[in-house]
Amino acid sequence: MNLEKVVFGFFVLLAATLNFGFFIGDISNPALHNVYELFAAIVVSLVATVLKFGDRTQIGAVHLATSLVADLQLVAAALAWTYAAHIAATGLTPSAMASVVSLSGGALFANVVSVVLLVVETVSYHRR
Amino acid sequence: MGNPLLSFWMRLLGQDEDPGPRGPSRRLRRRIPMASAVEAEATIFLVLRRMRAPLIVLITIFAVSVFGLTLVPGQDATGAPYRMSIFDAFYFMSYTASTIGFGELPNTFTPAQRLWVTATIYLTVIGWAYAVGTLLALLQDRAFRRALALQHFTRKVKRLREPFLLIVGHGRTGELLCHAFDALGRRVVVVDIAEERIDALELGSYRGDVPGLVADARDPGHLGVAGLRSLRCEAVAALTDDDEANLAVAMTAALLRPDLPVVARTVSPAIAERMQAFGSPTVVNPFNRFGDHLRIAMRSPASYQLMTWLESGPGAELPARGRPPGEGRWVVCGYGRFGREVTADLRAEGLDVTVVEPRATPPEPADGVTTVEGSGVDPAVLERAGVADAVGFVAGTDNDTTNLSMVSDARRLNPSLFVAARQNRAASAPLFAAMEIDSLLVPAEVVAHEVFAQLSSPLLWRFLQGVPQQGDAWAADLIRRVTADCGRRMPALWKIRLNRNETPTLLGWLGSGEARLGDVLRDPERREDRLGITVLMVLRREADGTEECVMGPDDDFVLAPDDELLLLGATAARRGLDLTVLVDAAREYVQTGRRVPAGWLWRKLSRR
Repeated sequence: MNLEKVVFGFFVLLAATLNFGFFIGDISNPALHNVYELFAAIVVSLVATVLKFGDRTQIGAVHLATSLVADLQLVAAALAWTYAAHIAATGLTPSAMASVVSLSGGALFANVVSVVLLVVETVSYHRR
Repeated sequence: MGNPLLSFWMRLLGQDEDPGPRGPSRRLRRRIPMASAVEAEATIFLVLRRMRAPLIVLITIFAVSVFGLTLVPGQDATGAPYRMSIFDAFYFMSYTASTIGFGELPNTFTPAQRLWVTATIYLTVIGWAYAVGTLLALLQDRAFRRALALQHFTRKVKRLREPFLLIVGHGRTGELLCHAFDALGRRVVVVDIAEERIDALELGSYRGDVPGLVADARDPGHLGVAGLRSLRCEAVAALTDDDEANLAVAMTAALLRPDLPVVARTVSPAIAERMQAFGSPTVVNPFNRFGDHLRIAMRSPASYQLMTWLESGPGAELPARGRPPGEGRWVVCGYGRFGREVTADLRAEGLDVTVVEPRATPPEPADGVTTVEGSGVDPAVLERAGVADAVGFVAGTDNDTTNLSMVSDARRLNPSLFVAARQNRAASAPLFAAMEIDSLLVPAEVVAHEVFAQLSSPLLWRFLQGVPQQGDAWAADLIRRVTADCGRRMPALWKIRLNRNETPTLLGWLGSGEARLGDVLRDPERREDRLGITVLMVLRREADGTEECVMGPDDDFVLAPDDELLLLGATAARRGLDLTVLVDAAREYVQTGRRVPAGWLWRKLSRR
């Protein structure tokens, strides 16, 4: 067992699950989407990105790319939330909430690709 | 390979890929390994990997601090319970962690919040210090800096849009050569194993940018990065002081780019032979060359003078004409590689030679060579060697101090002696100059001149090969003609080919068979005057592919289309000739004396 692989798999999967947890629920209802879950998703996603630094393989490069996409989407979601909650006069309206959650939905897709890559890598490792 | 059937077929048929035409075109396409480029990339990945831990620590510290701050209960201005939002907490942590510190925003903190913030301040400072410290340490890292330099160099070489010369070894020889080519406006790329010699490139005040790489040239990957695979690479010169490395470079170039001319320096005949086994590199042995030059100088001092002058490159002063004595006995001190070569050349001229050598080396059984055992620094030994009644003296040890003191002793014994000496270090140059040596060998310069002559223009090289056969009077006359036009400093040397591209206006005139050289070289401003250009050689290509070299043609020589001319003249004269061969009106005036308008409008008007 390789400890590095455990940590790597843990963070990739955790990023996806947290993201999923935030995303699930009625898209425009703020009560169903916890801000701390978004915060945790961003932090874990950033850690996962850093873990992917410096991998020279082709699959490593794609891993890094998906992670960067997820970060970008989640940070955009956080910015949208901040704007709606603190800057805009209207507050956290259902439409603002919908855009935050849909942005995180995009990140979820990237995270799913990450998980698929992880699975593919593991499976091909066993066949070698 | 998972599929056994597939691997079976591959084994059976896989070799099909390899055979095929093994001509140069195929060789050219072969990839040259880029090991060092991969190395550079690997280093950058290593840097990223090493940054992982500090970055993760930083992210974690930030996340914990921000999260904690949103949980700790606070109060707003009215005293009502209040909790910071994630956004506020992140903002506060950002300015606190980066030690900017705007104060307690948006409301004054409660003691509970202050307790938490105190802990996070220490945490974040540690996180930042760790991350920044690691980053700075990496930037200082030697391997990382080398990787960056390599990438920079690779990019520079790739961006070269002109033909360039690859010089391996930037010692004294390489430096002279770089300067000579730079003065010609040619580009060079330098590889050297020593860092200080590459640093010297920046102090060399070259006109063009000279990319330099600190690398071992014995690795083909490094040569590949330095542009060996580039189609713009014109030639390779292996000039390090390590024969083994020069051999490796000559070999690499011959195997990977058989179409490139290669010049390699060596002082060992054995290495020279091994170099010849790969392709056809030109091997320059300074010791051997010195003996050849001595023989040419004995037979024809003016030819030797002309050759040295032209080999020195633009701007060189016309060397003095000295004549080594062609009859009598020579004394050679130091019977190493250099002494052997000189002795053999002197013997070939039919001269008697006395060799002075401290080590008891068994002399080769050659008639006319006598050996005196002892050190040349000892005047008694020189006396025994018969310096008093000798005509020539060669101080050829590898120690400059020894050579100088031998020369001084020998001159005291026989003031009329012709003295040849070997200067090993560039720093000794003023001492040798003060001694007024009749014939001085500076190996670095001999090699540089030779390589310059070979690579600057193939025409010059052919000319120099032909000079010794032309005789002394011919060479003296040519020198007189050149110095009358351009003075005693070597002017610009260039070549021109009489074809549609280079001389579009001359084609009709050349075709008529009446284009006398003297007429073509008239001044396009005043045709009574002749441009100060000396034609050193005309290379004529016949239709059947044979080539004929006309050495130093006079003004009555009739030019023909597709002749190639090697010219020597001042830059102003060169511009004059360019005008004649490119502008039709100037050509018309030079040919017939009629002034015709150059512009389209004036031509229309004057025709009416």
